Amino acid sequence: MTLTDESAPPVEGPQPEARVLRAARRVREANVLLVTALAFVIGLAFGAVLIVVTTPNVLSSWSSFFGHPWATISLTFNTVWGAYELLFCGAIVDPRSLATAFTHSNKANWTTALTPISSTLTYATPLILAGLGLAVTFRTKLFNIGGQGQLIGGALGATLVGFSVHAPGIILIPLEILGGIAGGMLIASIAGLLKAHTGAHEVITTMMLNYIMLNVLVYLLLIAPYQLPGESQGESKFVLPAGQLPLLLGWLSNTLQVNLGIVIALVAVAVVSWFLNRSTAGFEFQVVGENPEAARTAGINAKRVIVAAMCISGALVGLAGMVQVTGIDHSMTAGYGGTIGFDAITVALLGRSKPMGVLLAALLFGGLQAGGHHMQIYSPTNIDYSLALVIQAVIVFCVATPALVIALFRLKVSGEAAESVTTGGWGS
Amino acid sequence: MRLELRGITKRFGPLLANSDVNLTVEPGEIHCLLGENGAGKSTLMNVLFGMLTPDAGEVLIDGDPVAIRGPSDAVAHRIGMVHQHFMLVPVFTVAENVVLGFEPVHPWPVLDHKGASEEIRRVSRQYGLDVDPEATVENLPIGMQQRVEILKALDREAEVLILDEPTAVLTPQETEALFVIMRSLTSQGKSVIFITHKLKEVLAVADRITVMRLGAVVGSTSPSETNEDALAAMMVGRSVNLVVDKEPATPGAVALEATSLYVEDDRGLTAVKGLSVSVRSGEILAIAGVQGNGQTELVEALTGLRPVVSGSIEVEGCDVTGGSVRTTLNAGVGHVPEDRQRHGLVLSMSIADNLVLDLQHDAEFSKLGTRNLKAVRANGTRRLEEFDIRARTSQVVVGTLSGGNQQKVVVARELSRPLKVLICSQPTRGLDVGSIEYVHRKIVEMRDAGVAVLFISSELDEVMALGDRIAVMYEGRITGVVPPGTSREQIGLMMAGAPEAVAAGSTA
Repeated sequence: MTLTDESAPPVEGPQPEARVLRAARRVREANVLLVTALAFVIGLAFGAVLIVVTTPNVLSSWSSFFGHPWATISLTFNTVWGAYELLFCGAIVDPRSLATAFTHSNKANWTTALTPISSTLTYATPLILAGLGLAVTFRTKLFNIGGQGQLIGGALGATLVGFSVHAPGIILIPLEILGGIAGGMLIASIAGLLKAHTGAHEVITTMMLNYIMLNVLVYLLLIAPYQLPGESQGESKFVLPAGQLPLLLGWLSNTLQVNLGIVIALVAVAVVSWFLNRSTAGFEFQVVGENPEAARTAGINAKRVIVAAMCISGALVGLAGMVQVTGIDHSMTAGYGGTIGFDAITVALLGRSKPMGVLLAALLFGGLQAGGHHMQIYSPTNIDYSLALVIQAVIVFCVATPALVIALFRLKVSGEAAESVTTGGWGS
Repeated sequence: MRLELRGITKRFGPLLANSDVNLTVEPGEIHCLLGENGAGKSTLMNVLFGMLTPDAGEVLIDGDPVAIRGPSDAVAHRIGMVHQHFMLVPVFTVAENVVLGFEPVHPWPVLDHKGASEEIRRVSRQYGLDVDPEATVENLPIGMQQRVEILKALDREAEVLILDEPTAVLTPQETEALFVIMRSLTSQGKSVIFITHKLKEVLAVADRITVMRLGAVVGSTSPSETNEDALAAMMVGRSVNLVVDKEPATPGAVALEATSLYVEDDRGLTAVKGLSVSVRSGEILAIAGVQGNGQTELVEALTGLRPVVSGSIEVEGCDVTGGSVRTTLNAGVGHVPEDRQRHGLVLSMSIADNLVLDLQHDAEFSKLGTRNLKAVRANGTRRLEEFDIRARTSQVVVGTLSGGNQQKVVVARELSRPLKVLICSQPTRGLDVGSIEYVHRKIVEMRDAGVAVLFISSELDEVMALGDRIAVMYEGRITGVVPPGTSREQIGLMMAGAPEAVAAGSTA
């Protein structure tokens, strides 16, 4: 039923109407932000419950609640607050050490003050790149879940360059970048070609490529040229010092690990933003994603777009592998990359496949990881690091099911906005 | 059974789909519900059949208010509905389809096939439906499948039968046969609500006519009191020109030529069988034919979307056989596809983006791989005005437009390239009279500008009004090419497979 447009008066001045539309779009985006913010609140609330039921003295205090209700409440509050304060201080900055750094300015104090943000950025870097890569495919409505395999591919390419080419950093690092891109692209292109030419579903092929790459890696680490001489436990040769990404805050202390990788990641955010929002090719990608039949009718070669989207995606995920191995680890071991490839899926999901969204989501994940470790070390009640991961998972869960959040908070959502909010998830 | 709808109001958000609608269907009458797309006919019928809950108003049967909360309530109150898209299981027999959900069983729980068949044969004979209960539905022609749907409703003892645009998929002969069945139903006391937007059919079959526009009833009349022009005026609120205004064509050289074309459909069956056709610049060649006789495959082959098994396609002497879609488009072929929502548009994107869907690489809209969004927007604003697309701005998402406006977007895009050949497939399907008229006028304008137009439609009126020559397609072949003055009966017979000469002879 489309009476509105039939009955709408013909266009008069486009100016005031355009303003109305912009306002409507703002409301819609505000709804998306609101849902994300509320998801965060739910995540923290869930974490709080978890802290209460897993901390013995808080729990026992609750069992005799009526004897000393006020003490129970304040103990609970202090425990939860303390944990979240540690989480925050570990993720962003501890105000006390920042104050110390200002009053007694020296390298050691500044290092302490900057450690949280450095480690947040370090954790976030590969997630930004891999999340961007997956976002490109999600926007083309291809569900590339092969981040893990492509990341290993990229890391293998970059490592090979990094230990075998003897050249100054200014040459070696760009070559490693190319190696990382090539490695990731190679793995992703297999799934892309299979999808385009045989119709094999990319979810299956990318997932299986993850297993293949995990085991290829194990094999490669035990043979030349990757095997570290004299090492039989499965570790690769080390990237040459010239090929290791320079630390951005190395002049303060070499424990501040934030490195050139974050710069590469931010450049990638800008490039992918341009690509998805402004480029002709990006427009074609999204047309193919939204309606492949219409794309074909309009003369767009949908097969080529599918292969290209997978290749670009793989290149970015490969780059994530490259920054991780040349910036942090400097060599590869079995199971390299851990859960980065999978976390990137949730980063892209949380960021709604938009480059800025991916950046923010990756920073959130990085912050929770850095803060989680900090909390575990300094918590007086032994709260485990995995609490941060639980909060992270609950946030993603809520963002993926916006209808749940809307129902929980009894949000009033207008028709159009409801559709865009509740059907979120992959893609735009 | 006397059915009355009283004060039915239904809103979808800000949209008033039905506003205080009153409708009375007397026993034994064929009641036509006439209106453009979006006038609220389907909403009203979905309310009656219990698929939508009205915001206000009530349904009365023989004077008593009844509550219809779902289709099963409607069936219990003896209301039956034949949907536009049939709800049949293709691999089941007629009998199995009819009894589905109300299966007769032996005393032990085993389906009583024989009893079901007997029952269907009886009902079928009573109303002159002539359906074989043992036939498998997928092997039946569309007209027969429709009768199975009617049988389903009758088997559930419907007294009021709603037929939602039943003639959209039928040949003229099948339509006639349907009318006979409808009359046989009403002569036995049942009533029929017949939804359509075809004026000729209304006048041919209706006892009462109710016209809806913009969600409200605008008038009620009967065939003896009205005529086509008056009905059309009621539907659109202004008098419309049902005849296409055009000068005689001045054909030039052959612009599109297909020779002995063989094309396969998705199942690998030959759908176009040695078809040859040529269109000169400055003329409209209209192809008539019931849907599913190879038109879709022909158009897809001509536009490069579907591989050609053998034969050749030339655009102004340039061989484009087996080329990509891009080659064909670049050769100067415009294509208004059959299904605008599936093939013509990206519904989630803006009007402006859709208007450049096959022009995104054009220097005007792209520089060094970067889209010139300013030019895209400017183009959108310009076309909005030029093609009378009713939307607030060119940034409006296409999916929110009405069918007519969506089609205008497709037409605007295709006509904004320099064209030699324009291929339009069912370009007015599902459009209201105003938009149909508009699309026709644009097509004639293109013809007068020297473009060769290939126009494919299953609407005979349209083919006859628009074509400078009319080719009739049947089972993948052209059964003949006739001038526009040819009688409907002759073209109708050719659409059913009779060769030109035979058809001409039998109607002469």
